Amino acid sequence: MSIDFYWRLPTHGCHNSLHTSGYERGDWSPLKPGNIAPGLGRDGEPDGFTYIDHLTEIAKAAESVGFLGGLIPSFPNTDDPWVIAPLLARETRSFRFMIAFQPGFGNPVHTARMAASLQRATGGRLLFNIITGGGGPAQLWWGDSFAHDDRYGRTSEFLDIFRGVWDSPNVSYDGRFYQLRGGGLPPLLRREEFPEIWFSGSSDAALRTSARHADYYLSWLEPFDQLGDKFARVKERTAALGREQKCAVRVDLVARATEEEAWRDIRIGFENVSEETRQRWRGQPTDSVGASRQAALRPTDARRYDELIVAPNLWGGFNLLRGGPALGIVGSYEQCAARLADLIARGADAFILAGTPHLEEAWRIGEEVLPLLGRQARTLLAAAE
Amino acid sequence: MTLNIHWRLDPAAEPLRSEPGTEHALPAFIRDRRATSRNRFDYYVQVARAVAQTAFDGLFVRHRSEADESRIIAAIVARETPRLLVVPEFPASVGSAVYAAKQAATFQRATHGRLGWAIAAEENAASREAEADFVPDEDLRQRLDEFLTVARGVHRDRPFTFQGRHFEVLDGGFEAPLNQHRFPKLFLQGEDDGALALSARHADVHLFAPGPVDVLAERIATLNTLTAVEGRQVAAGLIQPLLVREDRDGAENDVQHLPLASGTLVASYDEAADQLAAYAAAGVTELLLEAVPTLEEAYRVGQHLLPRLRARTGAARKAA
Ligand SMILES: Cc1cc2nc3c(=O)[nH]c(=O)nc-3n(C[C@H](O)[C@H](O)[C@H](O)COP(=O)(O)O)c2cc1C
Repeated sequence: MSIDFYWRLPTHGCHNSLHTSGYERGDWSPLKPGNIAPGLGRDGEPDGFTYIDHLTEIAKAAESVGFLGGLIPSFPNTDDPWVIAPLLARETRSFRFMIAFQPGFGNPVHTARMAASLQRATGGRLLFNIITGGGGPAQLWWGDSFAHDDRYGRTSEFLDIFRGVWDSPNVSYDGRFYQLRGGGLPPLLRREEFPEIWFSGSSDAALRTSARHADYYLSWLEPFDQLGDKFARVKERTAALGREQKCAVRVDLVARATEEEAWRDIRIGFENVSEETRQRWRGQPTDSVGASRQAALRPTDARRYDELIVAPNLWGGFNLLRGGPALGIVGSYEQCAARLADLIARGADAFILAGTPHLEEAWRIGEEVLPLLGRQARTLLAAAE
Repeated sequence: MTLNIHWRLDPAAEPLRSEPGTEHALPAFIRDRRATSRNRFDYYVQVARAVAQTAFDGLFVRHRSEADESRIIAAIVARETPRLLVVPEFPASVGSAVYAAKQAATFQRATHGRLGWAIAAEENAASREAEADFVPDEDLRQRLDEFLTVARGVHRDRPFTFQGRHFEVLDGGFEAPLNQHRFPKLFLQGEDDGALALSARHADVHLFAPGPVDVLAERIATLNTLTAVEGRQVAAGLIQPLLVREDRDGAENDVQHLPLASGTLVASYDEAADQLAAYAAAGVTELLLEAVPTLEEAYRVGQHLLPRLRARTGAARKAA
């Protein structure tokens, strides 16, 4: 058995550390001395670098230290993964680009052509995180008026066609959301490997669609037993269809030489969170089942960081410190490795890890945590004592 | 007016070049150390670099349903060339207008604003249905109109709301920093009055097909009348396929080996420069040139025709 490790490319800028709320990397915060990509030159002029130059550094760090590639998220105020991937294609050698994509936004045949072209450009380094949208105002911001379960219906038909035109030069399809007559990719594009499909979403409609189409079911971290149960259900459900689906976890780590150092960084970060940030994360309207499973942790109401420790090495306030889900792993290198080993024991076949700042933490986690993973969780925890 | 001169890459042209597995075999006694990681995009990048080095202003990438996708090619070559405007051509059926505009924003941010958009001419109904596009003929212009209204709208306005037949957006629009570059320079095409009217509302450049100078001058006048009504300005462009050689005989001789696109200008370097300068004098400010093989002809046109043409139009500008 082998386990796949991916990193993450932050598409909404990056912080210098978990202690600060400003985006000193990229231009999501005002440009000031000390910022990078863009930064200020000697004479106070913008230095000409742009955020893609920083993403290049992160991708190179991740591929150097042993991650297979990285997830490239897509939200209203992020840079777009379909453009980031080709921009980085020739700057990297083995880094695989996991494009987060809502199928409703693209014509399925044209999207297949784009995907096959990217496979050709990168030697087969493309894969997808298929997402289906959190609903609420954000969905109409994107120009999408479909309701939750219809969106999954559309995702499912999209994937039928996407795979269909890749497999055959002459496909017709008559669905509720898409029609196609005599479509198919040209031979040079069709001979490329079909990209791996990862799938995110926690609702029943999501799990049903994932079981039919995906290679990996991807989840945010949840309390371990709950996640283990979910993975077991996903695998059973997929097996009932005569298919196999693996399971993956997307999780942030704060890994330090000692547990005290790790919690110290969390505490400082927590104490620097502004009231405005708490307000912003409170009660954002969504029809996402996955988001509600996370929101049940209620991190915005906590007054002390340690109120949010939900289990050993599990902290539920990450969304206060940076965009993303609430739950993450905090501890010494050995403890972090032990928690990952716990997740493997509960059915995780792959991980998307992240840490802030993404560049330095890719090196740290790749050098300090991943090498420990060959050992059993129990041995690791004994070493951490 | 400055004359902007662009080269057009057709990804379906010279299809075997740099295509892994299809490259010509070398005789066994020639040591062959071509890297196995080579791929088709090496060729596109080579063309783009040639175009930059020979002082073109931009590179267009044609939409070809049987070849690599233009926006993927555009992003890859833009990262490898320092200066060029890069203009992928794509159909209005690509999907969400908001999403297309958002992708454009990232492209602009990463390339210091070097993206253009060219909207491809519509194909016939059967070809569209093979692309999962079932919008009927009579609705195509309306769809493109809405596509461009929404793409520009979310780029320029926050909040932006729109309810059309093909697209809708509620409380949309980009925020900083995604809205800090200009919208891609927009090239539209089409010969009828409806196409000109659409350009008058949306385009930065309207691209005309090749034709006699006086006919073109008339169409430019119509375009200008329509744009004045909209209170806008739209530049006139010309798509011009070329077969140019040192002298006329050489050009005519080579006609025999090449199936030529209709309207191809077959001429010596000097004659071609005269002819293109005449278009410029008639109001054309954007030239989109093409010839095959794409790479060699980019060098030829860049090194021999462009200096002659720029000398003529520069002199005309000084005299004016
Ligand atoms: C690991 C993971 C990554 C996600 N990444 C994105 C993303 O990049 N962009 C996005 O809009 N939604 C993202 N989502 C949200 C999902 O697309 C989906 O909107 C959400 O899970 C709602 O579906 P549900 O109601 O089935 O849970 C992600 C979800 C997960 C679990």
